[in-house]
Amino acid sequence: MNEANSGFLFTFFNPAVAAQYWHEIARGMVVTIGVGAATVVTGVAAGLVLALARATGRAWLRLPVVLFSDITRSLPPLVIIILLYFGLPALGMPLSSFTSTWLSLSLVLAAYAQESIWAGLSSLPKGQMEAARSTGLGWWQAMRWVLLPQALRRAVPPLTNRVIATTKNTALGSVVALSEILSTAQASAAVAGNPTPLTVGAFLYLLVFLPLVFVARTLEHRSSNRN
Amino acid sequence: MSAPILELVGLKKSYGSQEVLRGVELRVRPAELVCVIGPSGSGKSTMLRCCNRLEEPSSGQVVVDGQDITRPDTDINRVRQSVGMVFQHFNLYPHLSALENVTLALRRVQKKDRAQAEAIARDALTQVGLGHKADAFPAQLSGGQQQRVGIARAIALKPKVMLFDEPTSALDPELVDEVLRVMRALREGGMTMLVVTHEMAFAHAVADRVVFMDGGVVAEQGTPAEVFENPREARTRSFIGRYMDAKSASPA
Repeated sequence: MNEANSGFLFTFFNPAVAAQYWHEIARGMVVTIGVGAATVVTGVAAGLVLALARATGRAWLRLPVVLFSDITRSLPPLVIIILLYFGLPALGMPLSSFTSTWLSLSLVLAAYAQESIWAGLSSLPKGQMEAARSTGLGWWQAMRWVLLPQALRRAVPPLTNRVIATTKNTALGSVVALSEILSTAQASAAVAGNPTPLTVGAFLYLLVFLPLVFVARTLEHRSSNRN
Repeated sequence: MSAPILELVGLKKSYGSQEVLRGVELRVRPAELVCVIGPSGSGKSTMLRCCNRLEEPSSGQVVVDGQDITRPDTDINRVRQSVGMVFQHFNLYPHLSALENVTLALRRVQKKDRAQAEAIARDALTQVGLGHKADAFPAQLSGGQQQRVGIARAIALKPKVMLFDEPTSALDPELVDEVLRVMRALREGGMTMLVVTHEMAFAHAVADRVVFMDGGVVAEQGTPAEVFENPREARTRSFIGRYMDAKSASPA
């Protein structure tokens, strides 16, 4: 082993530093998983509700949804997090860093999920709704039993990609002092004077997101097989 | 003569400034098979779709079994259970098996339990000759089989009248007969049917009455013999002419 190599290992894969700080960063991983999971649940659920509101075809429901979706998708998620974290206290509604990160990413995911599910719904032939209604099913029943099952299947590939992208954005919470993986790793690296904690952080990100990517791939595979 | 089970009175429908139906008058009596023919754009399908309010009429009345279903207080989902519809493009639910296509409304609208709904659905599928295909998905069926499942889905609800919107137009020629055969059997079973069709031979041979639509109104109607062999109106003659010429050229 030459000196350049051992310098690299000392800097980025320093066992002593890793041993000292990995507990801290693992706690950050729990926060990352918490914010990420909460975001997926609320974001996808809200996206579904918004897509349904848009599908009613009523202008007073459809237009606000489209407006919300277009604005939210145009703003960088980081800007939304900062707006909520630093802006809302001025309006007398202080949010914790956890809440503002979760809420911001949920809004972003809701907008994208809404688009994916809406695209799935509007790709279905008009005859599906008509056939269902012609047998006496109400609008919601036709949605629930005929259109949504097909639309959600079509929405799976774009939706899983967006879920992964949005949950990775939990790292943006580091800007508002959310103690997730990136911010704990950065803080530890600063204290240690060595970037090894960042390596530990990267490893923990893989630990969290590789399984998620794998699940997404399996889901996509299943949905394409069934179409 | 028995009271009509379906009656259209002064039925009008406009899209913007375009008037598609300009006062359709039509009566269908119980157990009658009425075929509606006419050039494309004559309003046949729009008229049919007004009968279960898939299209909202602009004015006029649609009376089903004595009830004017254009009244705003109509429970349309209830009415639609007694007005079955079969579509040109079948419109089966692709994510459900043939059996589930038929049981869906039985279970979710008529609130029957699974066993009861499946028994009714299997009966309906058997009636269209597809008892053995209950577990097949639409993509695994031929066009003719899909359309027969579409018919089973409608008759399972025991409708008082059935609407057919060009049921064989999307089928390959060799698959048309199996669907027409099922429709003949339905008619012999006493089902009331209103059929928009381009199948002149079927209308000629099987219908009790043929209605010729043109320009958004009923231009002429009568028995198949009257309309096909002795039409009163010049436009009926010219529309029928091509079919009658082809028929005499190749005696079947």
